Amino acid sequence: MTLTVRDLHVAFETRGGRVNALRGVNLSVAPGETLGIVGESGSGKSVTAQAIMGLIDLPGRIEAGSITWNGKSLLEGDGYGTSVWGREISMIFQDPMTSLNPLMTIGAQICEVLTQHLGMTAEQARERAVDLLAAVGISGPRRRVDQYPHEFSGGMRQRAMIAMSIACNPKVLIADEPTTALDVTVQAQILDLLAELQSGLGLAIILITHDLGTVAGLCQRVAVMYSGRIVESQSVDAIFERPQHPYTQGLLRSTPRLDEPATRLLSIEGTPPSLMQADDGCAFRKRCPIAADACKEMPPLVTEGAVQIACHFPGRPAWQARQAG
Amino acid sequence: MTLPPTLSVENLTVSYPVRAGTFWRPPTFLTAVDEVTFAIAPGETLGLVGESGSGKTTVGRAVMRRVNTSAGRIFFRGEEITQMEGEPLRKLRARMQLVLQDPYTSLNPRMRIADIVAEPLLVHGRVKNTSEARDHVRALLDLVGMPADAHLRYPHSFSGGQRQRVGIARALALEPDLIVADEPVSALDVSVQAQVVNLLQDIQQRMGLSYLFIAHDLSVVRHISHRIAIMYAGRIVEIAPRERVFAAPVHPYTKTLLSAVPIPDPKIQRTRKRLIPLGEPVDLANPPPGCRFQTRCAFATDQCRVTSPPLLERSKGHVAACWNF
Ligand SMILES: Nc1ncnc2c1ncn2[C@@H]1O[C@H](COP(=O)(O)OP(=O)(O)OP(=O)(O)O)[C@@H](O)[C@H]1O
Ligand SMILES: Nc1ncnc2c1ncn2[C@@H]1O[C@H](COP(=O)(O)OP(=O)(O)OP(=O)(O)O)[C@@H](O)[C@H]1O
Ligand code: SF4
Ligand SMILES: [Mg+2]
Ligand SMILES: [Mg+2]
Repeated sequence: MTLTVRDLHVAFETRGGRVNALRGVNLSVAPGETLGIVGESGSGKSVTAQAIMGLIDLPGRIEAGSITWNGKSLLEGDGYGTSVWGREISMIFQDPMTSLNPLMTIGAQICEVLTQHLGMTAEQARERAVDLLAAVGISGPRRRVDQYPHEFSGGMRQRAMIAMSIACNPKVLIADEPTTALDVTVQAQILDLLAELQSGLGLAIILITHDLGTVAGLCQRVAVMYSGRIVESQSVDAIFERPQHPYTQGLLRSTPRLDEPATRLLSIEGTPPSLMQADDGCAFRKRCPIAADACKEMPPLVTEGAVQIACHFPGRPAWQARQAG
Repeated sequence: MTLPPTLSVENLTVSYPVRAGTFWRPPTFLTAVDEVTFAIAPGETLGLVGESGSGKTTVGRAVMRRVNTSAGRIFFRGEEITQMEGEPLRKLRARMQLVLQDPYTSLNPRMRIADIVAEPLLVHGRVKNTSEARDHVRALLDLVGMPADAHLRYPHSFSGGQRQRVGIARALALEPDLIVADEPVSALDVSVQAQVVNLLQDIQQRMGLSYLFIAHDLSVVRHISHRIAIMYAGRIVEIAPRERVFAAPVHPYTKTLLSAVPIPDPKIQRTRKRLIPLGEPVDLANPPPGCRFQTRCAFATDQCRVTSPPLLERSKGHVAACWNF
């Protein structure tokens, strides 16, 4: 019951040229586990999720690699993917307003999923829809089921989306920035809900976010993406205590924290290379304080025990310690 | 002698007309900002945080005179601007600038970076054509840390953080006294957030301008603000020097907000107690009597349900509106 992505390459043909969005992504997630994916904006987090869900459309193309569920490929043309997407593997999108149909009641939208995928009758589906709304903590589900999305607040819409995505008892749930548009109090409620669903249903969750605080609270393992690759993957505790890749180290030290004095924020100077350029050594090397000649060669993703890391100098402190005060 | 505040607002109230939902209901108004009072000193940054829909953007728009105020007064450097029209208003607009959240949509994709930055100079007649503005534009792009060849390129070839720098360069072109920054870093990942926040601070130190910095992320606001104002459902519930907000928050909503900010440390975050507000957010078209937070506050008493608590001073520069704390 594992979802495994191996050496995934995705490119988009655009008018300006070819964008190599994913350049060899490797990851896996097991039942009951939450994998966090963090990384620079544009590093390929959403494209990874879309590829797993079979949502890469032209001008995008999966160029190489494999995505397997229980050892069977989701990419072959035998329809296995279609039988899995939306059922065993489902997804929550960032903006519930664009993924919900404004002209249909919340209940009708959930029922549609249930009748289509599980072949329920209209009555069965409606009962189940009410149960699902209750399960995601919407009070008065019998009344709410007949309301339209605009009658729900942002947080409730996101709950409704979650209800829809767990309607078919999925084994894997992919959440792409599920709380970015919500304020922190609502965000906290949604994250608690995801944690509950996970322990209750034994879900595997892939959580994409740029909020490291969210990752710290919910994930067991973290994968860090940079420029179309996973550059580091470790247990959540280890990554916060001993980040190995210089980019991860830099990311953690730029994160503002409420429990530390408000000193000047530390940033990583510079920007990532264009994804149109060919691969040419480590993509982080122009911004990396410890880059050396060796970094002109691409560092492979090396697995050592529970740690995966793509750096020629793993674990070497790249930045000076944060100044106290 | 002390300078007058760069900006001060007294009992600012803004109502939006909302269409009557049905034929038997008369047109209604939604009071998005209700009797808000604050001031920003020269060279000071006031952070404005609060729940989604609490009226932060509306305050910013009212201050910039882009939305009509229903009641209250606005002063800019000691001069009342609430009803200012015509040429004086045009001149005033040059001295206050807006930086918006979305660096992807706030820059015109068909204009070169140099033209984008030069536009306010042209509009306000400071230069006759773009080439006359060239040196000035270069200096501005240099100030915000854009590469030397940026001026001839188009927005799409820059990253989110770089586009936000361009937006800031443009806002600085007329050397304003005040910048209203509405969620300027919310769409950016943490290392880029840090770059932009640091840039805004450096510019403030050099040019002595004031910021109204709107955001929903308290951990970012803390780094840039001298004082922080917290809004809930159209009202300011607390204003305090930044460290007081975190060390000695008074209002129950402020405490709720603080407890919900995720901390990027797995051991702390997993065991942290969060205060989850009860019930649903306030419907501004139909707000509750008394304290706006009473429907969700665990400490609400009869007094809270009847009479609005006034903003009272708790310590020097620290005001809060709550009957019980
Ligand atoms: N339909 C498309 N056409 C062309 N390029 C695309 C398309 N979709 C994604 N890309 C490119 O692929 C790269 C990876 O994008 P992706 O959306 O996965 O980033 P991300 O890591 O999710 O970033 P963010 O944190 O900003 O959401 C980006 O450079 C993006 O411009
Ligand atoms: N043009 C408008 N017409 C009618 N109502 C409006 C308009 N603009 C905003 N509102 C309403 O006014 C209230 C305050 O909105 P505002 O955008 O100021 O909130 P905000 O604090 O900036 O929220 P967010 O954090 O989501 O950006 C909301 O209830 C909103 O729905
Ligand atoms: S005034 Fe009352 S209801 Fe409002 S925050 Fe204070 S205790 Fe809660
Ligand atoms: Mg994304
Ligand atoms: Mg806003």
